[in-house]
Amino acid sequence: MSALGSWRFNTLGILLSALAFFIIVQMLRIQLSPQAEALRDKGELYSGTWRTLTPARGQIYDRRGNLLAGNRTVYEVGVVLEEVENPSTIALALNAVVDAEYDQVFAAASTEASGDAVYATLAKFVTEDQKQRLEQLAEEMKLAYADKSDTNRPSLAGLTFDPRLQRSYPEKDLASNILGFVNWEGEGFFGVEEKFDNELSGSPTRVWIPYDPNRVEEFPNIPEGSSLILTIDRVIQAEMEKIVESAIEESGSESATILVMDPETGDILAAATSPRLDLNEFWRYDEVFEGSTPFNRVVSETYEPGSIFKVLTMAAAMDAGAVKPKTSFLDTGSIEVGGTIIRNWNSGAWGPQDMLGCMQHSLNVCLAWVATELGANKFYQYMQDFGLGYLTGVDMAGENSGRLKLPGDEDWYEADLGTNSFGQGVAVTPMQMLMAVSALANDGQMAFPRIVLSIIDEGKQYNTSPRISGQPISPNTAQKLTNMLATSLEVESSSALIEGYRVAGKTGTAEIPTPFGYTSNQTNASFVGWGPVDDPRFVVFVWLEKPTTSPWGSVVAAPVFRQVVERLVVLMDIPSDAMKAQLLEGQ
Amino acid sequence: MYRVQNITQAYSQAPWRKQLQWVGLFMLALILIAMVAGIYLSVSAQASTAGREIQIMYAEMEEIRRNIEDMESQIAFLTSNSEMETRAEELGFSPISSDDIFYILVPGYSKPDQIVIAGSPGVSLPEIPTVAEEYTQSLFDWLSERVFYPATPLVKEVEP
Repeated sequence: MSALGSWRFNTLGILLSALAFFIIVQMLRIQLSPQAEALRDKGELYSGTWRTLTPARGQIYDRRGNLLAGNRTVYEVGVVLEEVENPSTIALALNAVVDAEYDQVFAAASTEASGDAVYATLAKFVTEDQKQRLEQLAEEMKLAYADKSDTNRPSLAGLTFDPRLQRSYPEKDLASNILGFVNWEGEGFFGVEEKFDNELSGSPTRVWIPYDPNRVEEFPNIPEGSSLILTIDRVIQAEMEKIVESAIEESGSESATILVMDPETGDILAAATSPRLDLNEFWRYDEVFEGSTPFNRVVSETYEPGSIFKVLTMAAAMDAGAVKPKTSFLDTGSIEVGGTIIRNWNSGAWGPQDMLGCMQHSLNVCLAWVATELGANKFYQYMQDFGLGYLTGVDMAGENSGRLKLPGDEDWYEADLGTNSFGQGVAVTPMQMLMAVSALANDGQMAFPRIVLSIIDEGKQYNTSPRISGQPISPNTAQKLTNMLATSLEVESSSALIEGYRVAGKTGTAEIPTPFGYTSNQTNASFVGWGPVDDPRFVVFVWLEKPTTSPWGSVVAAPVFRQVVERLVVLMDIPSDAMKAQLLEGQ
Repeated sequence: MYRVQNITQAYSQAPWRKQLQWVGLFMLALILIAMVAGIYLSVSAQASTAGREIQIMYAEMEEIRRNIEDMESQIAFLTSNSEMETRAEELGFSPISSDDIFYILVPGYSKPDQIVIAGSPGVSLPEIPTVAEEYTQSLFDWLSERVFYPATPLVKEVEP
């Protein structure tokens, strides 16, 4: 090799080595520079995406396994701003298909694409049908206006659909007061949806999803929300809701409430009230529940129960031995308790009566006397044992504890003993009243009202057990009073009676207090009853608020009780007393 | 001296042969590197494809879950109480009263009192990972497992 050739090779070698050295130095400089960490972080940011995996909300079933609350797919419609060709077409299409505001959509879709503005949300909770219509429109426009050079051509280019699950209620407004609803943000409101919101919604988890398929990792196993099986029977609930509607119509009441409970287990089989909301359209809440109308009267609204409360007064007095069924009382038409004169509902004097007569004719004077015989301390102790003034603990949100004034309270007066004895001056919720009366139908034992039968968590079904709240009265008292009330209905040929079935119960008519006392003509009409008397399978509570056709519970509420029981005996497979005796004989 | 030169010359290789050996060695190294690179590329491509497939399957899984929820809701809508009642009425059925029912005693029959939708808490199955160990285990883990833990015999000895 000539000297010239060697020189050239050496020069080239030195140059290439210098270049390589320079590249290595530069690489090291970049790697070790103060900005390197920030650059690496930025690079990492673009290497994947954070995503929140939201588990499907748990389902809610009735006691027979019918779905009351499930989930369905809805879409968030948005636009990739860089791909938008005609914001006006997008706004028009969304206005026509999903009823979105034209101006809002147009403004969002017209946003100039930039580093910070990449995507805009146009509409939420778009249904599958609406999504398909939009996709069809986009396809048709693409075919009809294929000339891309036309900058004003109608186009839905840029539209995207992001799916997600949203609550759905297949039974619409059935048991809406019990269920509650889930809002746009996935939060439960009212009923079991609110009470069990954490359990139903599960735990959303944020996961990093790399774009690089070589770095793909197993998704964490995110358990779905727990599901609930309720004690409600949807057929009984539906029948009760129909009766509620017809009762409101026939009696001209403002609202009606019917509760059905199994006295042995405390299972709430139906809790029908009005008004009700189609839960699939929960945004109409303000329209349906105007002013202070409660969502769920069953647990949220208190009222003065009136004469149905006499059942508890009589139970307490009989249990304490203050009176017996045959104890006689001379009704003179009035009695003074704590300086207040108490009169009967018709202001009349009913003469000599036994306790059966007192209950049959619903005599305020007699019951006030019974309460004084019992004494204030014992009376209020019994009422507390019946759970009055306390929350029942039923698993529905928004429960009210009512009010039972007690001796020693600032606003309690001796006269209250007299008025409380027949259900005046006491505030109870329908659920409290039902729970208290269930003791009479269950041999003196009072079960906690139960709305959740089972919880299904991670594929396992956990059944709840019936719980006894206490035994305010003895089995003997419960049976005696049950027989007394059954006889009372039979003697007065009450419109609550059902052919073939012996039932016990009591009507109630309570004046509604105003700020100036009991001055209005409006009443709360109610009925509480249970049956069949020899082995009670149900306790029923009926409350009609401000009936207009008649103020009396015996006229408007008792027939509703009969209608309820006529349906219950069929739906609960309860044979008539005669049929039952016949079956037992054949055994 | 001349003799030594002759012997060296006699046993030394021809320059073209030496060149050929160097070229051969270089080519061998090149082929080895190309083979390793090829295998690496092939394995990487397979891993990427598998990773992509896993991503697609996760997306499909999510869609299927949504579809199941949708279907359950649709079935519930179609069999809702009001729908069933309407269908029953259209078929000529009407609600019965207690007088229309005749009860008979069936010895030994007891009405099931509790609906069962899921398994009882007592029954638990072992958790099975969705991605097999082969896809997550490193080569060293696999080697150490094979070295330190006895392998399962291919043929089980028959005891007399």
